[in-house]
Amino acid sequence: MSITPEMPPELLMAYADGELGPIDAKRVERAMAADPAIAAEVERHRVLGARLRGAFEPVASVPPAVETMLRDAAKVTPLSPPASRPSVTPKWIGAIAASLVIGLFVGQTLPQLASESGIALEAGQVVARGDVAQALDTQLASTQAADAPVRIGVTFRDAGGDLCRTFEQGAVGGIACSVGDDWRLARLYGGVESQSTEFRQAGSANAAMMADAQAMMAGDPLDAEGEAAALAGR
Amino acid sequence: MRFEDELLGHVPRLRRFAHALARHSADADDLLQTAIERALVRRDQWQPGTRLDSWMYRIMRNLWIDTVRSERRRGETFVPPDEGERIGMAGDQEAAVDLGNVGRAMQALPPEQREAVALVVIEGFAYKEAAEILEVPVGTLTSRLVRGRQALMAKLGEAA
Repeated sequence: MSITPEMPPELLMAYADGELGPIDAKRVERAMAADPAIAAEVERHRVLGARLRGAFEPVASVPPAVETMLRDAAKVTPLSPPASRPSVTPKWIGAIAASLVIGLFVGQTLPQLASESGIALEAGQVVARGDVAQALDTQLASTQAADAPVRIGVTFRDAGGDLCRTFEQGAVGGIACSVGDDWRLARLYGGVESQSTEFRQAGSANAAMMADAQAMMAGDPLDAEGEAAALAGR
Repeated sequence: MRFEDELLGHVPRLRRFAHALARHSADADDLLQTAIERALVRRDQWQPGTRLDSWMYRIMRNLWIDTVRSERRRGETFVPPDEGERIGMAGDQEAAVDLGNVGRAMQALPPEQREAVALVVIEGFAYKEAAEILEVPVGTLTSRLVRGRQALMAKLGEAA
């Protein structure tokens, strides 16, 4: 191995990896041209890289168990079809029977939530009752207490003009839209609460819920004034 | 794109990374599955607009390093060595044999060098990205990378 103070191994490796800027790269190329041992060292890096990638390529696949897990997980979140599709009577009770995953999820979450606060199943609809309903009725995101048991996120109008709000209560979150005097749940999410900051990224609230709210939204979320006016006008 | 669909698109690379890290094929698939489960539970902690793959690699690597640490504490090996020798013998015989040699050479590296080599050489991350995933300075990553590669060259050199 031909290692000189001018051509340390880190530099040759970085050159082989394409990590050097144009000036350093030129330096290495001149050294390679002048000294076959240096050129050979760079080549050894490239050969090793190709061999490692080639060896591990056969395992770059999707195991069936993982694919099933992800497909099932994708079914959990939406309780109603996206707003863009023609509105149909929510058939999600049928979906519970049809899907073990949804069954388990709602089976665990809904009774727990109902006992804590009163989210209820009424005539095939999931509606807010108790603490959640009260927060949706009256609580303003701009003035709510930091430790409020139910936290309101964004308030917005959906494509049909209905008033909708995101909320979180403990580990459960949802998007509820105002229908008559009720708040009907469009989406319900489990595992919203963060138990650890280990993987939390700065500024991320419930990103999945917020992304869905964004997709439902016609225009921008209401500001503090719009939020208060919309609640007063229900 | 839905979170789960985007995640699914990264699974082949994540499985490759798991195999580069873990000692045995079964451990690698367990690691992959645990990482996916962890990501689904903590999906609200991923910020859309940032790279989902980097986030996933970080989750997997942290799960793996936890196992490495607890194995070190217990001084345990789960699978006897002769069973380990047979890993990767299925399928194309030539490729499988090479995975065996390369795999064993990778396993002989200290974990710090192995993860650096896996991220940069096999997964193709830039030094800066790999250093962020491993939460070390770029200089630390570079020196682990150089030592890891020199050890691999020494082990695999004659055949390379």
